[in-house]
Amino acid sequence: MLKLSSDAAETIVRHAESTYPDECVGLLLGQIAGEAKIGLRALPLENRWAGQVSLAETDNAESRRDRFYLDPRDYLRADREARAAGMDIVGCYHSHPDYPATPSERDRVGAQGVGGGTSFAFVIQSVRDGQAAEVASWLLLDEGARFAQEELIIA
Amino acid sequence: MATITIPTALRQYAAGNSSVSLDVETVGALLRGLVEQHPTLGRHLFSEQGKLRNFVNVYVGDEDIRYLEGEATPVSSGDTVSIIPAIAGGI
Repeated sequence: MLKLSSDAAETIVRHAESTYPDECVGLLLGQIAGEAKIGLRALPLENRWAGQVSLAETDNAESRRDRFYLDPRDYLRADREARAAGMDIVGCYHSHPDYPATPSERDRVGAQGVGGGTSFAFVIQSVRDGQAAEVASWLLLDEGARFAQEELIIA
Repeated sequence: MATITIPTALRQYAAGNSSVSLDVETVGALLRGLVEQHPTLGRHLFSEQGKLRNFVNVYVGDEDIRYLEGEATPVSSGDTVSIIPAIAGGI
C-alpha cells in the first residue's frame, strides 16, 4: 500500500500536466512502515531520455513522448536529500500521456535495477489532452517478472 | 572503513541495512564483501557473467565508477560508495 500526501499527489499532477505531451518523471520521498509506504513528498526530476538504455526495438532517442529516463545522478542527489531529512526514497512516478495508468513492457524492462518488492512504489499518472486523469501505484514482483497494482490512498 | 549505501528496494536482501561499512581498498572488494555478507544481493547487482547489471550504477562520491577505474577504483577510509539504480520506461 502507498499512502501519498495530497501535496505529493498535487505535485505529480502539476508536473505531469506541465510536461505533456512528454512523459515526466520523479521520485517519492517518505517513510516505510512495514509493508506500507508513506510518500510525503514528490520530487520532480528531469526526463533525461536520450536512448541511454535499450528498452524495445522501437526506441527513439529523440522522443520523450513515449520514453523516460531517471538519471542515476538525479537519483543520487535525491537519495542524499532524503537521508539528510530522515526519509527514504519510497518510489518513483512517471506520466503516461494519452495512455492508461498501467505499466508497459518498457516500464518493466526499465525497472530491473530497482529491486522490486513491497518497499518501492511505481506510480503512474495518466494525462489525457493535457489534463491529469487517473493515477495508480504498482509493485514490481516475482523477481521483476510482473507488475501488480497496489492500494493507493491519497490523504 | 568505506561505506556503501544500499537503495531502498535492495535492502530486503541486505537484512534491512541501508548501508554497510567495510575495511577495503577498492570498490570491487567493497561490493564483493557486501555480497559475501548478503549473498542474495549478488544476483540483483551482478549478471551471470559477473558484471554489474545494466540498470545498476555504482558511484564513489559523485563519480560513476564506469568513468573511473571500474571495480579497481580505490576507496579510502571515510569514502561513501553508492549503489544507484537507473529507472527508465515508456508507453
